[in-house]
Amino acid sequence: MSSKIEAPRPRSVDRSKLSYVSTSAPKDSEVPKPRLIDRSAVEYIRPVLTVLEKNVHSPVTPGVVHFPQFKITPALEKAANKRIAQYPDDQRRSAVLPLLHEVQHRHGFISPESIEWVANKLGIAAIKVVEVVTFYPGFRQKAPGKLHFRVCRTLSCAMGGSYELMAKLCEITGIDRSSADTHKDPISISPCGSYSVEYAECLASCGTAPVCLVNDDFHEGVTPEKAESLITQYES
Amino acid sequence: MSDITYLPGKEPHEKEHRLIFRNIDRKGWNPKIKTYLTEGGYKMAMKALKMKPQEVIDEVKASGLRGRGGAGFPTGIKWGFIPPNNTKPIYLICNCDESEPGTFKDRYIVHQDPHQLIEGMVISAYAVGAHVAYIYIREEFPEAAILLEQAIAEAKKNSFLGKDIQGSGFDLEIYVHRGAAAYICGEETGLIESLEGKRPYPRIKPPYFPAAIGLYMAPTIVNNVESLCHVVHILRMGGDEYIKLGTPRNSGTRIVCVSGDVKNPGYFEIEVGKVTFQELLYDMCGGPKDGRTLKAVIPGGSSSKILRCNETFKIGRGDDAEEMTFWQLPLDFDTLAAAGSMAGSGGVIVMDDTRRMSWILNNITHFYAHESCGQCTPCREGSTWMKKVSDRIEDGKATPNDVQVLEDIAYQIDGKTVCAFGEASAWPVEAMIDKFRGELVGETSDDNDTRSAERIAQEQFLSSVPQ
Ligand SMILES: Cc1cc2nc3c(=O)[nH]c(=O)nc-3n(C[C@H](O)[C@H](O)[C@H](O)COP(=O)(O)O)c2cc1C
Ligand code: SF4
Ligand code: FES
Repeated sequence: MSSKIEAPRPRSVDRSKLSYVSTSAPKDSEVPKPRLIDRSAVEYIRPVLTVLEKNVHSPVTPGVVHFPQFKITPALEKAANKRIAQYPDDQRRSAVLPLLHEVQHRHGFISPESIEWVANKLGIAAIKVVEVVTFYPGFRQKAPGKLHFRVCRTLSCAMGGSYELMAKLCEITGIDRSSADTHKDPISISPCGSYSVEYAECLASCGTAPVCLVNDDFHEGVTPEKAESLITQYES
Repeated sequence: MSDITYLPGKEPHEKEHRLIFRNIDRKGWNPKIKTYLTEGGYKMAMKALKMKPQEVIDEVKASGLRGRGGAGFPTGIKWGFIPPNNTKPIYLICNCDESEPGTFKDRYIVHQDPHQLIEGMVISAYAVGAHVAYIYIREEFPEAAILLEQAIAEAKKNSFLGKDIQGSGFDLEIYVHRGAAAYICGEETGLIESLEGKRPYPRIKPPYFPAAIGLYMAPTIVNNVESLCHVVHILRMGGDEYIKLGTPRNSGTRIVCVSGDVKNPGYFEIEVGKVTFQELLYDMCGGPKDGRTLKAVIPGGSSSKILRCNETFKIGRGDDAEEMTFWQLPLDFDTLAAAGSMAGSGGVIVMDDTRRMSWILNNITHFYAHESCGQCTPCREGSTWMKKVSDRIEDGKATPNDVQVLEDIAYQIDGKTVCAFGEASAWPVEAMIDKFRGELVGETSDDNDTRSAERIAQEQFLSSVPQ
């Protein structure tokens, strides 16, 4: 026998045995009506990942203990409605940023549930909220520390010593910034969850460099030597 | 006016001419409407409401006011771009995204004198026919956002905002919209996209001005905080009087913000073109720190081209051309443009002889790589490459050719992008290489190997394979 491998022959099919091949045209009454798919049933059988599950990752951080879990409260609804009223009725989407600010202010970061809530509130697809959350550095997808330091790293502050300030803050709080990435993962959190740091771009106070934000408070002229007192003033 | 006293240590310099910053750092001043009204606040808004809108626009045109946000476009002319047969609502947006590195003027206006801005917006909105206005404020000013909302509520209570302002029949609502820490939201069409609740991808031009198609596809006027405040003073003084401030084609006052290596950095409101760099940096800012000399200056925010302190320039055309040293340059729009840079947003960043240019360049390229919106390829890729190559120079791992590579990348971005961010990121690199090539090349070495690990492995493999 030769060792040549033979190409497989096409298999002959007995077409009459195939159920879907009809030999005669069906009567009208036999044509099946297009069936509306009951999505809930489909998902029950084979879970379909939602946009949020596929695209939004909110790793749990040690800082999470400092923030209440996302919950839809009357106060939140009221604040949201006030923001939505700022825009024309047919432009509710404009309120995406304000609503996300409301959420982040209360809950520390933007969770998948809160994205869903914002999307429902504005009547837009969740992905339209996700694209906003993932673009703006101002929105966090994981909980920061109880005290979140945003140190300006741009030119005037860098000349004034903001790199050293950042190093000092990390040293005092025990934060490891080695895995921080300016785009993908800018926030580094201390193991205890009380502190987190992040570099910000020019905070518009270059004349009093170096400057930083601690949560919503602005501090100017924070030379590296003042790092210690900057932290202790919040501890009392 | 002479009875104003300022907080100790914050007194204006004698060469300053304070209009916009009149109440900044003032003793006994606070952002409440009561304080503002005791100083004749909202009188100009009332005056404007009694005029015809076109008369207000003509007054601003006569004043020669040029926008203070960066491009320096005449404000009155911009207001005239609203299509005459327009049937849609018109919007006014105040650009308070102040994020150009080196600029810190709007911060003080919105924190200390928010009613001045609101009055300017009432006048401007009336002039262009807007009944809804937004203040787009950067996220890093949380306190100012609250202050502004309080000020708006106060103004509404006193019928300077809302329905039928002071019985004039003119309605105006102002809302505060907070951004989320993205520099590109300062670009006016990016800002509009952001306000619409989308990613702030700048729009493709034309139309060159949102006055044609802007927010919600309706005519929109976007102006900087400082520009809008100037409108109040233009009405008070009259356009013909205002234009006498400053120099021809560069009228009025403007706030320059000095930061970096000088003894007294800070903000100074000067008549445009009446102060030279010598006066600004030595008389007003106290000169360099002891034992140092000044090396280079970025004159209008980090996007403008850097100037060497020992440079001389030819300013003017033909026979009128004049040799000027850097120190003799007056700070105005046209001279700085003639010197190859721009007055931009008024942020002057000063560097002394202890600064290494590779370090400065590296810091700036990191900023632009972080802030590019990523919509168009030359800017998205180019800004990241510039960051990587400048990292290499700064780390001392570059070859002399890398400086050339960096320059090539910059010229491939410049002029090929959707928005002016492309130029903003390329110009500083082009200028720094142009003016400090020797210094940058000096930090490189022919012995450095810039091949990537993959490339080295590939070359080793190829040379080990028998031919
Ligand atoms: C990349 C980029 C960033 C900008 N950032 C700001 C800014 O932070 N603040 C501002 O007022 N204008 C900024 N501008 C200028 C605006 O696009 C616009 O020209 C300005 O707000 C118009 O106002 P004006 O005519 O009063 O100057 C920026 C422009 C570009 C291209
Ligand atoms: S030039 Fe840069 S910032 Fe501007 S649209 Fe293109 S990618 Fe975005
Ligand atoms: S560089 Fe830090 S505030 Fe501008």
